[in-house]
Amino acid sequence: MKTKARILILKTDGINCDEELEFAFRLAGGNPEYVHVNDLRNNPKKILDYKIIALPGGFSYGDDIASGKILATEMTSFFSETIKKFIDRKDTLTIGICNGFQVLVRTGLLPFARIGQMDVTLANNYSGHLECRWVNLQIEDRNNSPFLRDMGGQKVSYQVAHGEGRFFTQEKILDIIEDENLVGLRYINGTGKATMSYPANPNGSLNAIAGITDSSGRIFGLMPHPERFVLREQYPNWRRLSIEDPHGLQIFKNAVKFVNKA
Amino acid sequence: MIQTIRVTSKYADEDLRGKGILSELSGTAITSVRTVRVYRLEGITASAAERLAKKLLCEEINQDYALNKHVINGGQKIEIAYKPGVMNPEVASIIKAAKDLGVNLVAADASWEYYFYSRSKEEDVSNLSKKLNLLNHTVEYIVDKDPSTLVIKPSKGHTAVISLRKMSDETLMSLSRDKLFLNLEEMKIIQKYFKQLRRDPTDCELETLAQTWSEHCAHKTFKADLVVDGKKKLPLIKRLQNEALKHDKNIVSAFVDNSGVLEFYDGLSICGKVETHNSPSAIEPYGGAMTGSGGVFRDVLGTGLGGKTVASTDMFCFAPVNLPSSELPTGCLPPEYLLKRVVTGVRDYGNRMGIPTNNGSIHFHPDFRAKPTIIVGAYGTLPTKKAKKRKAKVGQVVVAVGGKTGRDGIHGATFSSGEMSHRTISVNSSAVQIGNAIEEKRMFDALIEARDRNLITTIQDCGAGGFSSAIGEMGEETGVNVDLSKAPLKYQGLSPWEIWISESQERMVVAVEKSKLKKFVALCNRHNVESAVLGKFDGSKKLRVYYGKDLVCNLDMNFLHHGLPQRKMMAKKNENSSTLPKQSPNSPVNLRSQKDWIKIVQNVLSHGNVCSKEPIVRQYDHTVQGTSVIPPYAGLSLQGPMDAAVIRPMLNKQYGMIIAHGLNPVLNNYDAYWGSIWASVEALANYVCVGGDYRQAALINNYIWPFPDEDALWTLDRSVDAVVDVMKAFNIPVISGKDSLSSTYRGPDGEVIKIPPVLCMSVFGKIPDVSRTVTADFKQEGSVVYLVGKQDLEAMEGSIYSEISRAKFPENRVPQMDLKLVKQVFSVVYSGISKNRILACHDVSEGGLIASLFEMCIGGNLGIRIKLTQRDQLMYALFNETAGCFIVEVESRKIGEKLFSKIPHRLLGEITTEQIISVMQDKKEVFSADISVLKKSWQKPFEDLFGSVG
Repeated sequence: MKTKARILILKTDGINCDEELEFAFRLAGGNPEYVHVNDLRNNPKKILDYKIIALPGGFSYGDDIASGKILATEMTSFFSETIKKFIDRKDTLTIGICNGFQVLVRTGLLPFARIGQMDVTLANNYSGHLECRWVNLQIEDRNNSPFLRDMGGQKVSYQVAHGEGRFFTQEKILDIIEDENLVGLRYINGTGKATMSYPANPNGSLNAIAGITDSSGRIFGLMPHPERFVLREQYPNWRRLSIEDPHGLQIFKNAVKFVNKA
Repeated sequence: MIQTIRVTSKYADEDLRGKGILSELSGTAITSVRTVRVYRLEGITASAAERLAKKLLCEEINQDYALNKHVINGGQKIEIAYKPGVMNPEVASIIKAAKDLGVNLVAADASWEYYFYSRSKEEDVSNLSKKLNLLNHTVEYIVDKDPSTLVIKPSKGHTAVISLRKMSDETLMSLSRDKLFLNLEEMKIIQKYFKQLRRDPTDCELETLAQTWSEHCAHKTFKADLVVDGKKKLPLIKRLQNEALKHDKNIVSAFVDNSGVLEFYDGLSICGKVETHNSPSAIEPYGGAMTGSGGVFRDVLGTGLGGKTVASTDMFCFAPVNLPSSELPTGCLPPEYLLKRVVTGVRDYGNRMGIPTNNGSIHFHPDFRAKPTIIVGAYGTLPTKKAKKRKAKVGQVVVAVGGKTGRDGIHGATFSSGEMSHRTISVNSSAVQIGNAIEEKRMFDALIEARDRNLITTIQDCGAGGFSSAIGEMGEETGVNVDLSKAPLKYQGLSPWEIWISESQERMVVAVEKSKLKKFVALCNRHNVESAVLGKFDGSKKLRVYYGKDLVCNLDMNFLHHGLPQRKMMAKKNENSSTLPKQSPNSPVNLRSQKDWIKIVQNVLSHGNVCSKEPIVRQYDHTVQGTSVIPPYAGLSLQGPMDAAVIRPMLNKQYGMIIAHGLNPVLNNYDAYWGSIWASVEALANYVCVGGDYRQAALINNYIWPFPDEDALWTLDRSVDAVVDVMKAFNIPVISGKDSLSSTYRGPDGEVIKIPPVLCMSVFGKIPDVSRTVTADFKQEGSVVYLVGKQDLEAMEGSIYSEISRAKFPENRVPQMDLKLVKQVFSVVYSGISKNRILACHDVSEGGLIASLFEMCIGGNLGIRIKLTQRDQLMYALFNETAGCFIVEVESRKIGEKLFSKIPHRLLGEITTEQIISVMQDKKEVFSADISVLKKSWQKPFEDLFGSVG
């Protein structure tokens, strides 16, 4: 029997959504393991033993200076070479959720897989504080990311819980992101349209962008938490709406399927 | 040389901090506010600083920076920084990241500059900063001159010997005042002990005794022999414990550990602890709330061999935010400032820890103007095999884990045992500090792993009293010797006694077997957690504390832990104390028109105790860990308030836990017995509402009471009797609790304010299947709605309606409940929910029936028509607040009549899709209120304070 591909759940000071992320991958049939960043500093090559790098949410190093900044600095300082090798292998995936997404943009892995070059940011929510609420999203059907396979056009509900999630960049870069179909999902309003109005767009993200991928689709970052909706009862309205598949689970199933096949 | 980097938003419009401040300055000449982050970096060159600016401190997509000059110009500037010595949590991260980039800093700091741009030149910035409360003098200062160094110079620490033996009673008391907080009898016992030893004590020894014997640590009042109205009564704690242990079927441990522990499923236990943090929060609410949260989380970690915190709760009482400043007592902070800063503190700590804030409440009463009540709860899971506290054994070593020790938090235990006065802020400012959640989070990660790898033999948190309490307790039976020079310090120069009693946050003490020490230290290092061996448990039965070679404390464990005499205290009913409201009473308002009725309903719904708290809840991450099954607000709209939290701590299991609480800020003022019954029944009703089986529940009782003079002690005694009666009636135990008996304020001119006595009753327990629960939102058109339970209709005292209408009611009393009957009602509701017969359930609480119905409508985007009869007195029917009554939605009358046949019940009406609340009396419509109009009143108060929820 083929052994299941290993999934690296990165841990460090202040990361706190690691257990639900581990659970989501496990429920999706994956083989996740917690790895502390200090273990990688001693041995960066260890990264190459894995097929998925998953950066959980939380407040890595307190989100001091800017959210995800300290961990991004640590990763670019010590793992640039190894991560480059990792993402160059066509059979690997990288996902960052919430704080993990913030880390991915601050390392430069998103949107252009250019380590050390920051092209977009996730700035303070326009409301000025953390927003913990359910939001409605639509998966872009023109994005070919393996994470979003068979999900194009779907409308999903996920939770957001962040204070710095406002997707922002210069117009030029935004145009490239849109032209190359790098947007993975957007915040939508009650009528199903991408929206800039609060609270449907909880942070004021440009073009209602909630998550993006690189051009290969194998690096994916998003502010909402699909890992908090992999069980029916995690959604408060399960009693009145029939929920066949918890909305977040598909992303993890897709990822596991991709790496196990590859 | 210090390099200074200033960073600001590239676009004025995105300076949200500045915009937030501007929004509070309407009516002034200020037209714009800009903010600048200032980083001061010591020990590097300008080119290294430039590199850090580009790589780390500034993101040029949307920020600008300047090195050693201003980044924006004009305006009037004010810079606010933490005082030297107050730990700035961000500094460690800056130093770490700089090092990762190859730049080694000697020291660093980060502060804020505020630039005010004004239409007129007269606007005085220092006045503005005062108005905005930008600066908290306790921990911050205004930087008017660039510092020449950030390195804190050691002041010389030393140990003093206090000539206690020859002190007069008067001198003993002046030594005690503001510092030791012991009474004369206790001071004299200490004096006698040292007379027998034929030496004078060191400062360290006196401080150790004061910590251990403080009300906060020793609970002298609860342990005291009581004489109540001339009759002898058992100590309060004895009465609680004796009754609790009769109901021990689920108890793993009660009253002996940092939290109470209950049997859960699959070899797991759950534990709960609720704490108050009133005194620090009164003078530095941000830091106070943070350290309150941090402390109660550590209580869970300090339970057994270490619990994992999975849930938290917050209950606050403040003065109304519109309290006129003339009514604010000298030395007290305004309630709006306290509320906002406490919320921010709880938010910043809980969110960073990744611990969901699942349940809470906020209450208002003018008498909290002298001191707020800040209650924080934490709940955890741990393997039952490791759920009982073990004692350290001789030969094991004492290891301090986590944060470094500084001067912060000194005298926290003794200070919080004292009354608040106008001098409190200036004398006791060192008792507060700013928490560092990330320090605590990594320590938790490390210690839970150490527990699972069997590397520790016992654990204790450093809370009140710091090392002194933690190590003193762990070594109570064996004796211990420690060397304080081994403790990691934030800065040099602390006196040994300061290290010993400092309450610096985020520290734990563990006992480790020598053979496992290396592994334990390696594990800590891997998690970036500092650990230091301080000493060992030695079998001497003495507490011996060294600083290097100097013996600075040498006390008998027996004297330390058992030398404190049991107090004898008198309680007496104060016949003169008025239980009537202060306002001149009006006769009950004669409401006639629809408009009158809708207006009064709006007033009830916008009362601080009833109105929506959603704007706060949205700032707390209440679903992190993925465990939430019933969040604080749910329903179709996700805006309907829920009664209790249901969580699933093990994601791969169907079982879960329920957490609820009950608190009324005023009823105990009128009647401490029935007020306390009310709080307990309310807590249990909330628990039952979501589908909880009260027989599986356990209680946690927190008494926040005025200083125990005869009068206050009498009401406290009544409250404890009520709690004992609740345990008896429901056959469930109290398994943890805390008392905070310092809610009295003494002003400069003899003014005395007694804060309302509060019993906060928390309840938690297990449920076999989290899907067998129900939410409070109405589910479907055409369902019928019942009121079940028995209301004590004429008892309106202490209700929101009576406060708003200022009416005097014929029956001058608070609601009383027949606990036997309440128990039957609980059983029926529980069984209805577990059999899926009940579609929605909500209890009647503050605001009465009408408030509950409204909240259920909000959750379901539905409306209701209710029918009352001519026999109903409308004011009573709509606004009475008897606890233990439920509003229940069922599919049909047939189901309802069958389900409720054995308990008091009444059909109220039917659910409609039209979003109105219509009240009919027989065939006449009393009023029909548009829910969207009511909703605005209900949401407005907290939206005005914390922003719109959309």
